Amino acid sequence: MRTKFFTLFCIVLVAGLLAACAIPPATPLPGEATEASAPTEKPTEEATDAPTVEAAPEPVELSILWWGSDKRHEITQQVLNMYTAENPHVTFAPEYSSWSDYWTVSNTKAAGGELPCIMQQDYAYLNEWTSRELLMSLNEFIDSGTLDMSDVPADFLAGGTIDGNVYAIPLGVNAQAFIIEKNVFGEAGLDIPQPDWTWDDFEVLAGEIKDKTGIWAQGADLPAEAMWKSLYLAYGEWAFNEDGTALGYENDEPLIAYMKMIKRLQEIGALPTAEEGTEYSGAGPEASPLVLGKAAMDYRWSNQVVAVVNAAGKGREFVLVPLPRPVDGKQPSVYIKPASFFAITSTCKAPEEAARFISYFTNSLEANEVLAAERGVPIAAQVRDGLKEKMDPVTGMTFDFIALVQEDASPLPPPDPAGWGDIRTNVWTPIFVDPVLYGQITIEEGVKVLRREADAILAQNKR
Amino acid sequence: MSKIAIDAASRGNTATSTMSKKRRSKNSATDNLTGFLFVSPWLICFLVFTAIPMVISLWLAFTDYDLLGSWSFVGLDNFKRMFFVDKRYMSSIVATLKYVVIAVPLRLAFALAVAMLLNNYRRGITLYRAAYYAPSVVGGSIAVAVMWRQIFGTQGAINALLAIVGIQGPSWFGNPATAIWTLIIMAAWQFGSPMLIFLAGLRQIPKELYEAAAIDGANGWHSFWRVTFPLLTPIIFFNLIMQTIHGLRAFTQAFIITEGRPLDSTLFYALYLYQRAFVTFHMGYASAMAWVLLLVIGLVTAINFKLSSLWVHYETSEV
Repeated sequence: MRTKFFTLFCIVLVAGLLAACAIPPATPLPGEATEASAPTEKPTEEATDAPTVEAAPEPVELSILWWGSDKRHEITQQVLNMYTAENPHVTFAPEYSSWSDYWTVSNTKAAGGELPCIMQQDYAYLNEWTSRELLMSLNEFIDSGTLDMSDVPADFLAGGTIDGNVYAIPLGVNAQAFIIEKNVFGEAGLDIPQPDWTWDDFEVLAGEIKDKTGIWAQGADLPAEAMWKSLYLAYGEWAFNEDGTALGYENDEPLIAYMKMIKRLQEIGALPTAEEGTEYSGAGPEASPLVLGKAAMDYRWSNQVVAVVNAAGKGREFVLVPLPRPVDGKQPSVYIKPASFFAITSTCKAPEEAARFISYFTNSLEANEVLAAERGVPIAAQVRDGLKEKMDPVTGMTFDFIALVQEDASPLPPPDPAGWGDIRTNVWTPIFVDPVLYGQITIEEGVKVLRREADAILAQNKR
Repeated sequence: MSKIAIDAASRGNTATSTMSKKRRSKNSATDNLTGFLFVSPWLICFLVFTAIPMVISLWLAFTDYDLLGSWSFVGLDNFKRMFFVDKRYMSSIVATLKYVVIAVPLRLAFALAVAMLLNNYRRGITLYRAAYYAPSVVGGSIAVAVMWRQIFGTQGAINALLAIVGIQGPSWFGNPATAIWTLIIMAAWQFGSPMLIFLAGLRQIPKELYEAAAIDGANGWHSFWRVTFPLLTPIIFFNLIMQTIHGLRAFTQAFIITEGRPLDSTLFYALYLYQRAFVTFHMGYASAMAWVLLLVIGLVTAINFKLSSLWVHYETSEV
């Protein structure tokens, strides 16, 4: 009796295992992830087949994944429909999420070998994804003209290029901006800063804003890790070294000076204290101190300006100035960065069609009128010029800002190394910025901790 | 013995003692098959969604798997890093222990107090019970967490009240000393489910004991400590175990309200585990953390059981 009982149990167990095994194409074991991603020869095969595809276009379904706001989902969907209307053999399987969920979604898909054909990429993750051979080189599509980049300035394309291979096409560019509320400056009798202003100018200005208006000069975003990088960029250095195995600078003084300035301004009430700041950090544009009238300036990437200005409502005027630079720096802090990319994943079955679509997305004025520079200022010159006249004043302001920055910008720094997300989440805020600003450790101790912990994470890239 | 008894019972009165052993075993195999078929949806789901993932996660705990690509076996590195290197891990342990040690007794005390208030037959009492249970139903929800942000915000309800009496309220979420208390108060406020269990326990206490105590001259305080409390200890013990486990796994409140900040003072273990797994994708490390949590929960529960002999009173005779 016992044996039969046991056999039965085994049968059920095996049934269970079989049920689990039925899934594997979707969830291969972790170790197989890299093998599962298609070999790089694949595009070549597809490319040689290309003429026949063109002669009698077979129906293709392109899966596509992006992050963004509801507005972006709506307009992107609209452009996908427009493309299908022009190319009836191409249909789309779109998926989208918010930024906060995006990397969970896409990493899980990558682990399961289920990546979409086209995915939105970010400069911060590009290195990691290409080094794991999850993205396809687009060089041959650019060479063959399928992916038409003839109208795109080379330095705009540089952001998606790694070791001579273009892996991702920027969907728009942006730059770090200070949004300034004109009325507040006007009433206080303060001048709008010059584009080449310095952090010293900023400190003086912040004190004056506090004295004359009583509100904060800035929100709580100055201790952001993007500021750290821009700070060292101005000295001709970068936060990380070339192969991403350690921090890229020797001298901690600029960072110490920067944090000291923040503390000084917090003490005189020109910046929110650490305690006050927690309530605003990470809050959307609607809840930013600038929009709420509690601060005279706000630090944002320029493609977020539209959201901030819209949240502020009518009757308020804003102006954009580039990020201040250190007095003793060699070059501007500000640089032109691709806001986001489209990349074709290495598992894509129809990369040719995907490339054609990205080409349309980049070069079609019609499509970009719908997209309305929501992903940043378009990279194709004709599209940019064509759009400029039709844009609302706020979007036009970001166009002018990018043009202004372009005149005097630092070269685009390399993409962030693998482990950057780890540093941002587990080092920068919790064991450097917060302990320093809450006065638990001194700034000098803080920068040492930052260096030690960041180096430890980056050292893993040596393997 | 008992097996035969069950078999006999399952066949009811028709079962005959003359049935041969062979025949009985055949029948019981059929019975078993039927039984397993009936539970098979659960069994299969348990294997596929719980047992197998658990085994895989145990294995991942010894790797540096990060979702995206290659992984390698790293032995005990994850555990070493956790206990000796990772400062945030220590912060998460401190925050979680503080929360459990303060919030669980507080919640149980509230639950018991309210249960005793509600343990009578006044008009509309069911309405009150439902009302007091409501926070637990909505407790884990995003909406309550958002409301909590409003109440304890710098411009929130609490500070507005303080302003009336001329006190400038602090930034409750911004101050590392007060932030965790907002979550502890929230936990105490969600006393609904232990309250229901207490209420059921209170109903089991025979009225005669109170009457006898009253005749002996006991006041309310005496009869609580001499009658209610001892007879309720098994229930209190059960609630303590359940709420401690619940507390060690706390996640939602900190995830929505404080994100672990400031200074990692509200970085609950489960929140840090989530960050490791789904923000920085250290699946191996997160798996190791999950297994340590499981062991800790097991250990704490075992200690609780051991200590229970000192204070939990089980009625041996029938009441």
